[in-house]
Amino acid sequence: MKNKIMLTGKALALIFGVTILSFSCTRLDTKVYSPVPDANFWQTPEQIAAGVAPAYQALQALPDGNLYEMSETSSGVMITPTRGNDWYDGGDHLSLWLHTWNQDRGFINGLWGDIFNGIGKSNFTLSVVNSLTNKPSNIDAINAELKALRAYFYYLAMDNFGNVPLVTDFNTDPNSVTNSTRATVFAFVEKELKDNMQFLPGNVDKSTYGRMTRWAAHMLLAKLYLNAGVYLGAGNERWADAISECDSVISSGKYSLSGNYFDNFAIDNSGSAENILVVPFDKTYIGGNNWEMQTLHYQSNSTYGLTNSPWNGYCATADIYNEFDNADKRKAMWLVGQQYGADGSALKDLQTGLPLIFTPNVPSTSDPSPAFRLVGARSIKYHPEAGTGGNQSNDMVIFRLADAYLMRAEAEFQLGSPASAAADVNLVRERAYGEAPGGAHDWQIADVTSANLLAERQREMMWECWSRQDAIRFGTFGNARNPGKGADADAHWQIFPIPTPQMTANSKLTQNPGY
Amino acid sequence: MTITRLLRQITLLMLCVIMTQLAFSQTKTITGKITDDKGNPIQGATITVRGSKVGTSTDASGAFSLNVPANAKTLVISSVGFSEQEIAMQGKESFDVSLVAAASSLSDVVVVGYGTARKKDLTGAVAKVGAKEFNQGVVTNPIAQIQGKVAGLVITTPGGDPNQAPIIRLRGQTSLTGGQTPLIVLDGIPLDFPDLLNNIPPGDIESYDILKDASAAAIYGSRGANGVIIVNTKKGTAGKPQVSYNGYVGIQKVAKYLDMLSPNEWRAATGAAGAGIDKGANTDWQKAITQTGMVHSHDVAISGGSKGFTYRGSVNYLNQQGVVINSGKEEYGLRFNAQQKALDDKLEINLGIINTTTNRTLTNYTNITKAFNDVPVYPVRNPDGSYYAFTDFEVFNPVEHINEEYNKSFEHLNLLNGTINYELIKGLKVGATGSVSHFNQQTHFFQPAYPVEGNVNNASDGNYNTDSRKGDLHINYLKDFGQHTIGFTGVYEYNYFTNDYLTATGSNFLVPQNLDNNFTSAIDPTKVSAGSYKEEYKLISFLGRLNYNYAGKYYVTASLREDGSSKFGKNNRHGYFPSFDVAWRISRESFMKNIGWLDDLKLRAGYGVTGNSDAITPYATLLLYGPGGRYYDAVNNIYPQSYSPIQNPNPDLKWEERHGKNIGLDFSILNSRFSGDINYFSDKTINLLYNQYQVPTPPFYIPYILANVGSMTNKGLEFSLTARVIQDKKLSWTINGQITFIKTRISSLSGTFEGYPIRTDQIPGSSAVGRGLSSYPITYFKPGYAPNVFYLPHFVGVDKNGNQLVDSAGTTGFASSANVDKFYTDPSPDFTYGINNTFTYGKWSLNFFLRGVHGQKFFNNTSLDFANVNRLPGNNATKEALTNGIKDAAAVSDLWLQKASFLRLDNLTISYEFPHMKGISNLRAYVSGNNLFVITPYKGLDPEIQATNTGSNQAYIDVSYYGSAFYYKTRSVTFGLNVTF
Repeated sequence: MKNKIMLTGKALALIFGVTILSFSCTRLDTKVYSPVPDANFWQTPEQIAAGVAPAYQALQALPDGNLYEMSETSSGVMITPTRGNDWYDGGDHLSLWLHTWNQDRGFINGLWGDIFNGIGKSNFTLSVVNSLTNKPSNIDAINAELKALRAYFYYLAMDNFGNVPLVTDFNTDPNSVTNSTRATVFAFVEKELKDNMQFLPGNVDKSTYGRMTRWAAHMLLAKLYLNAGVYLGAGNERWADAISECDSVISSGKYSLSGNYFDNFAIDNSGSAENILVVPFDKTYIGGNNWEMQTLHYQSNSTYGLTNSPWNGYCATADIYNEFDNADKRKAMWLVGQQYGADGSALKDLQTGLPLIFTPNVPSTSDPSPAFRLVGARSIKYHPEAGTGGNQSNDMVIFRLADAYLMRAEAEFQLGSPASAAADVNLVRERAYGEAPGGAHDWQIADVTSANLLAERQREMMWECWSRQDAIRFGTFGNARNPGKGADADAHWQIFPIPTPQMTANSKLTQNPGY
Repeated sequence: MTITRLLRQITLLMLCVIMTQLAFSQTKTITGKITDDKGNPIQGATITVRGSKVGTSTDASGAFSLNVPANAKTLVISSVGFSEQEIAMQGKESFDVSLVAAASSLSDVVVVGYGTARKKDLTGAVAKVGAKEFNQGVVTNPIAQIQGKVAGLVITTPGGDPNQAPIIRLRGQTSLTGGQTPLIVLDGIPLDFPDLLNNIPPGDIESYDILKDASAAAIYGSRGANGVIIVNTKKGTAGKPQVSYNGYVGIQKVAKYLDMLSPNEWRAATGAAGAGIDKGANTDWQKAITQTGMVHSHDVAISGGSKGFTYRGSVNYLNQQGVVINSGKEEYGLRFNAQQKALDDKLEINLGIINTTTNRTLTNYTNITKAFNDVPVYPVRNPDGSYYAFTDFEVFNPVEHINEEYNKSFEHLNLLNGTINYELIKGLKVGATGSVSHFNQQTHFFQPAYPVEGNVNNASDGNYNTDSRKGDLHINYLKDFGQHTIGFTGVYEYNYFTNDYLTATGSNFLVPQNLDNNFTSAIDPTKVSAGSYKEEYKLISFLGRLNYNYAGKYYVTASLREDGSSKFGKNNRHGYFPSFDVAWRISRESFMKNIGWLDDLKLRAGYGVTGNSDAITPYATLLLYGPGGRYYDAVNNIYPQSYSPIQNPNPDLKWEERHGKNIGLDFSILNSRFSGDINYFSDKTINLLYNQYQVPTPPFYIPYILANVGSMTNKGLEFSLTARVIQDKKLSWTINGQITFIKTRISSLSGTFEGYPIRTDQIPGSSAVGRGLSSYPITYFKPGYAPNVFYLPHFVGVDKNGNQLVDSAGTTGFASSANVDKFYTDPSPDFTYGINNTFTYGKWSLNFFLRGVHGQKFFNNTSLDFANVNRLPGNNATKEALTNGIKDAAAVSDLWLQKASFLRLDNLTISYEFPHMKGISNLRAYVSGNNLFVITPYKGLDPEIQATNTGSNQAYIDVSYYGSAFYYKTRSVTFGLNVTF
């Protein structure tokens, strides 16, 4: 009997063992179905294109994201007042207008994330494509483009946050990351662009649309040199270098000013001969351009055939609106006065019953009264697109030729050549006023002043994310302005603080002065 | 290690027992009938012979027949809900026994996971709730049957939506972002995800066993950290076929409406401005979108069988209309199970089939919010009967939207399981279990183009499958060895899971009457897109448990589970989850023998380790590429999909680990007149998973990572008491109560990832929402505080202009954009409780159940948004807006953090049991009411209401704005009938 039981025990063990083993029932291997394992990627040109694209996609967060409001509101060309119950948002918008932000504000970490997302993706992609066994045939061009793109992101990081961590290798030990000085980042951006210039595409056609070309790199260098005095301190200005970079773009003959200013921002603006670097958007496939929603009123959807009610937010004060004279065709970017529906009927603010009349005067930063809902000039520079409710198709502009002329004009002015400066500015003004050279609105040499140059830049580059650095460079950033902002006590507001979550995540970072 | 040595010795001992087990003996047959104290037959009572494994159960007429060893001396008779009785056989062969109803019977069989135990033998903190104690009335989600009944188990119904899953938390918050719902085990098989329980007809459920402490739940290893709820369905019993019908019909109404301005109040408040938009109508939008909901439910079951074969089959039908128009749930269920014994009862086969179809008509909560935004002077319909159409920001005709949207979910659940056991030698069973679970959900959505709104018609469909195949091989051994009782369970288990889906969306269809049934009819083909996904994972486990007791006095339980999961990182593929329990039945000691009033007294202590890996997706440890959004290819004028890494891969990823200690005392005195238990627990969860731990970019690709970093503690005290205050033949009164104190604290949110320190000072929880309240987190996870601690400015009043003032280095208003000081407030309750009273008088019975929460705070985001005069005239506001003095923009402060303790009459039931009639063995009728009143200082709609789209993180916030919104709480009355033929 004992034997029988032993036998049973053995049989039992055998049954268990065989069952478990025969079904490979202890193996934890699984298949990956929908995501793609690293080993299966980077095999075809299409995969390489799809793998390189995310670094570019990081641009999509910039021209209509945190950068947009932080640049344009902190410098006073855009305001989002608290209208009744709308747009207080914990004081975010007012803090930008009043210069009272701190390192805990969500948009501070938001912009940091937007920029460093692009840097991280560039670093990763560079690391991966250069370690492929079968490198793509255009590896040099890919490297140059990604490095120039990364230089743009680092430029933004340096411009906005000053002293940022400079990490250029994906495999860097996180424990070693600390801030670099603004000068170090400046030098890196400069060197990176110059070193890679020759490998960047010089052709301007569909294959380079929305990509980093040689000309975009020159524009970026021009921005770097134009602001060198700000970045490196007085005495380190690089005006001549700025002119030289603008020259490269202008004399390339690849670009020309569009006859109509608004063609550069149209719903389909891919035909613009003026735009040098754009971020493509599309109502179906690439969302993120919500210009129409942010600035238009809730009832403006019936003016423009939008599928949702806009949000009644961003606007400009009378001081900004009045910088445009009536002959200036660019003034058409602003919506003021009575608004009408598509059927021609005069619209009302449904919430208050008031006639829908936009008035540029913004008397205060916050007011619950019904009329205050309608204050501020609204912008249709990027024209609203019927059939969308956000996510419009207009590609958003980072660099365009008119900026090159204005930058060159400013540098020429600084180097004591007002005649050359006036000539460059007039190219832009003649288009704005629809005049031939020598027209009534052309600047004379006496018109070439610092204040006029800044005002012209504001008019031409309105809400294109350059206003903050322009105001800092021209020394107006800390000034008092209406409504409600006093003069800054010191200059620390000229760079944003390192965001608290970043300081927490990396204890080796040092906070910017004044925060 | 001593525990290892002990385990080894016990194993050896067990083997010896197997070797020497050779007993054969002669038998005789006994028969009898088991009834309750009123003479009604008890079906399913268990009759065993003391000291042997011989046993049977009674049929529908209470009768039994059993072969017993000739030397058998004592019969032990037990049944759920009755006190166990021991009968000396004294040579008799016929036994008619009347059982006394027990408040908490020590003989109840409790399912403890991979086995069963009698309540008196338990060493861990395990609670059982049988069908007799279930909540009644409109209970269409099974778990609501035991809401408030179990100490430590907090079940919250966020609103009255028939399609909304209750929130279940056992012993507090256990995780930051991982699932916190207990593992639900249905008839021994874990459900693939907890919400599947909502697709099981409540009427099929016999009882719940709740494994509360870590030592009891450790047998479920990496899935046990949230506790385990074991759901047992009804089984057949031998006897003549028995047909039963349980059904009810009821009505549900909105329990409370928000106090919005009436049309005339709105007119008075808005004056001339209002007159400009007044259409002269008088509309109560809240009434317009709600209705009285009908509910009816019918279960028909047939059960029966012979000695070796028993079965039960049931069909269920449930139809519940929601209190919001065009919402509801319809469910059809078919269930069958059978048990076959053969080969001298050595072979036992169990089969179970569950098949339910649930058709849901869903509510888009953002439509409900329009009832608070729309002005009361717009009509619902034009004179010609068409909808009155209007549009503004967050404003439209909600009646039109709710009625015209086609919003369905069709769900099919199939569960098949089978178990085969063979008793190899006496006390030693080996067996195998197999199960297949298939859950298919088809979602259908169509929204038409509405007049004046400018939108285009659009549709989206989805087909989601959740499948699993599970199997185990198990061995059970149980043997009395003199005064020693030894039990061993060993299991090898294999689980294979897949999830997949196929979705399609489209817009601007040519013929809107086709709804979502013709995607190819989109006018612009680029407006149609499809998506698909599939994933799989495996969980392979070995587990063992040893039970030992000496003379029913000293108990030791030890278990160990090894979980290997394909979800875990390659450096942590296998986790080990031990538990160790001891118990001492003090009342069995000889020195306690003379204390007559004491029936039972048991002291328990346990330690266990459990895991939670819900937050880990199947491939979270790998470097994978996924769609990263589209980019523009100008040459080809196309928008290809970009691919980018979807995560920072973390090869160290593993389960969260909860280390739990529990000390408990079970008691029963005065012949079960008073019984109850007390548990104290102290748990620490380490390696907290969170997918938003911030890492610096660069060098990291993505600024956050899923990693095991923080830790938190849960401490608590639970009391349960049952008192049979009056216990006459005619009149009885029983009170059951429970009270739970739980304190949860986050200890740390810092740790390392691959040698790099991950430091997080706090994690934002949920945000206030509403106009002008974007991105404003108000709750946090912060070390030293309870989860979801509020961090708010302190409101001190309003100035003469109606500006809200807050306490901030002197008093200041919001409008100046001051960076105001904020303060932490813990919203979590001091304790939660439930009290049940049952009176019976002859054939009448009255039951009422009170449930409450004390000391909790709720952020009344609904008032923050709606109690503001700036909403007028374009939006409606609450009456409070006219009286609270606030004239500036809605702003977040602790003004809105309000006391929300409550006491709710959850259920009141009056039933009558009809006298015996020919052909009917049992007939009971009842009237039941749910949520009949709430006593609370809370100023909002209901202190339990929660916006649900945001999941567990929206805790303690009452809001109805855009995507974060609630569904009205309901009050209901039902009439029900139970008949057995």
